[in-house]
Amino acid sequence: MLRLNINQLLAVILFVSSLGYLWMAFQIPVFPIPRPVDSDAFPKMLGLCLLILSVFLFLEKVPANVAEDKTSKEADVADDLPQTGIMNPKMQVLGASVGVLAYAFLIKPLGFLAASIILGVGLAYWFGYRNHVVNFVTVGSIVLSLYLLLSKVLGIYLPQGIIPF
Amino acid sequence: MEALNNLMYGFSIALDPINLMYVFIGVFAGTIIGMLPGLGPMSALALMIPITFNLNPATGLILMAGVYYGAIFGGSTSSILLNAPGVAGTVATSFDGYPMAQKGMAGKALAIAAYASFVGGTISIIGLMFIAPLLSKVAVSFGPAEYFALMVLGLTAVVSLSDKSLVKGLIAAIVGMMISIVGMDLQTGTERYTFGSIEMLDGINFLVVALGIFALAEVFYMLLRGGKKVQKRNEIGSLKLSMSEVKEMAAPVARSSVLGFFTGVLPGAGATIGSFLGYSMEKRLAKDGDTFGKGNIKGVAAPESANNAACGGSFVPLLTLGVPGSGTTAVLLGALLVMGVTPGPMMIEQRPDVFWGVIASMYVGNIFLLVLNLPLIPYIARILDAPRALLLSLILIFCMVGVYGLNFSSFDLVLLLVFGLIGLVMRLNGFPAAPLILGLILGALMEESMRRALQISGGDWSIFIDKPISLVLLLIALLSLGLPVVKKMIQKSRSA
Repeated sequence: MLRLNINQLLAVILFVSSLGYLWMAFQIPVFPIPRPVDSDAFPKMLGLCLLILSVFLFLEKVPANVAEDKTSKEADVADDLPQTGIMNPKMQVLGASVGVLAYAFLIKPLGFLAASIILGVGLAYWFGYRNHVVNFVTVGSIVLSLYLLLSKVLGIYLPQGIIPF
Repeated sequence: MEALNNLMYGFSIALDPINLMYVFIGVFAGTIIGMLPGLGPMSALALMIPITFNLNPATGLILMAGVYYGAIFGGSTSSILLNAPGVAGTVATSFDGYPMAQKGMAGKALAIAAYASFVGGTISIIGLMFIAPLLSKVAVSFGPAEYFALMVLGLTAVVSLSDKSLVKGLIAAIVGMMISIVGMDLQTGTERYTFGSIEMLDGINFLVVALGIFALAEVFYMLLRGGKKVQKRNEIGSLKLSMSEVKEMAAPVARSSVLGFFTGVLPGAGATIGSFLGYSMEKRLAKDGDTFGKGNIKGVAAPESANNAACGGSFVPLLTLGVPGSGTTAVLLGALLVMGVTPGPMMIEQRPDVFWGVIASMYVGNIFLLVLNLPLIPYIARILDAPRALLLSLILIFCMVGVYGLNFSSFDLVLLLVFGLIGLVMRLNGFPAAPLILGLILGALMEESMRRALQISGGDWSIFIDKPISLVLLLIALLSLGLPVVKKMIQKSRSA
């Protein structure tokens, strides 16, 4: 069975994406007044460049240092972390991603202060910090300072939510 | 002699206690805001515009110039300490500044940044004062074909920096340009790649992509790498530079300051291209060029002096021609217009208080920057003492606040996550992030220049090679891409 290396896999993804990009470039409507270059010219150039470059990437050898890099990264992970539960590195990235998503949807209803403190304290806990008092005081004071700087000094409106101040 | 007399007149304005206070406020506020990932000079300047409403134009512009300088320096601080450049002009600083911080030399990197910024800023002010009219004439002679070629050169210079793979560097640059054209085409009003989303009509903001690709991806990468503490207090190192280090960085700082100034003068090619070109030039000139990207002090000194010099340079077209050379100077132009001052060739004669007052205030601001930032460096560097888990969660919050503060849009936060994950994939697979960011910044400008050039030529593409400056710039661009390939081939044939 044909096995693709990581470069070739990414090259295939980029090739397909560039085809989709080019197809969309050809759908860009023509401007009613004739002009030498329309809105679609630059996107077509970019799509074509990406298409050609993805072919070059497919043919490119995976350099040894990338492979070495990966090995050293795996070694680092193995040395430093227990690989189970929430301390698994992939779970940590997943947790951080979910945190960012949750923040995006909760910042308006909860307000900047509450949402930021919950996220900051929660993520620090998720990443393995267990000194809860220091965690709350540090995150709380930095978020509060940031809020005061932005809203009271710089005049940037930030949602108040459940803490009306 | 006349220049000196004018400068003395400028100092009589800049050293007025009220103006002195505003220089200080500007530099201080700029440094603090620029340090926060996500809030760069453009945001800082935009936020300061309401404060200038009731000020006289000279004082208002003096305040804004201080914010600009301060924000650029503040951005370099977050680049070095967190690898989270909130400002595109300090991306190149992170290439060697962050590895230095990782090696326990954060204090030294910050000191180098402060000295290099001071020298770069000072040289650019002298340039602005003495040779501004001459340089502006050169810049005026540039048409859209030349601008296009210049931007191509800026991009290829960055791609050629990528040690890993030329193809991957080019792909990153193309993807950056693709992101830059998302939204409504300003020339025709046509929607492009918005997928029917209203939020995408105005395009994707630079900060969303930059914070995602750099800061958020860095957080994810650090999480994947495991539980090492970012830095230990005793590894920060001394702020002092040895004589040999000062000697080592003297020539790169001088060269990059001049290069940065010239780059800043050219519209569109501001602090970002200046810093990348300065870095690229020093990497090629240095005998130890292969240690660039691994914590070489010249790799911090060159982009820092270049980006500060470019700030001074960007005032040339703004003040003498009324043409903003970058997004940041465009905000400055807006502020001037609000204050009732229209910059242009007549400004030196009609408003000498504004022109020379600003130039003199730049000298004062630069001294404040050095006096303010160097003593604060040990305190700023303490951020590295924080437990890794706390630091990472705080970086995430800074990123999200910076992005949310742009448009108060949850959609931007979702985009931030998307670009963070793209940045992680890029980082894990050897795709350099810098070309993507530069492509993003230059893409729309390149398209505009290309279309304007082709409109002038009636669709004839030979305009790009018919114009001698454009041809030379394109040839240099081609050469910068070809050299690494030739170098590789020679190495291969030698080892065979």
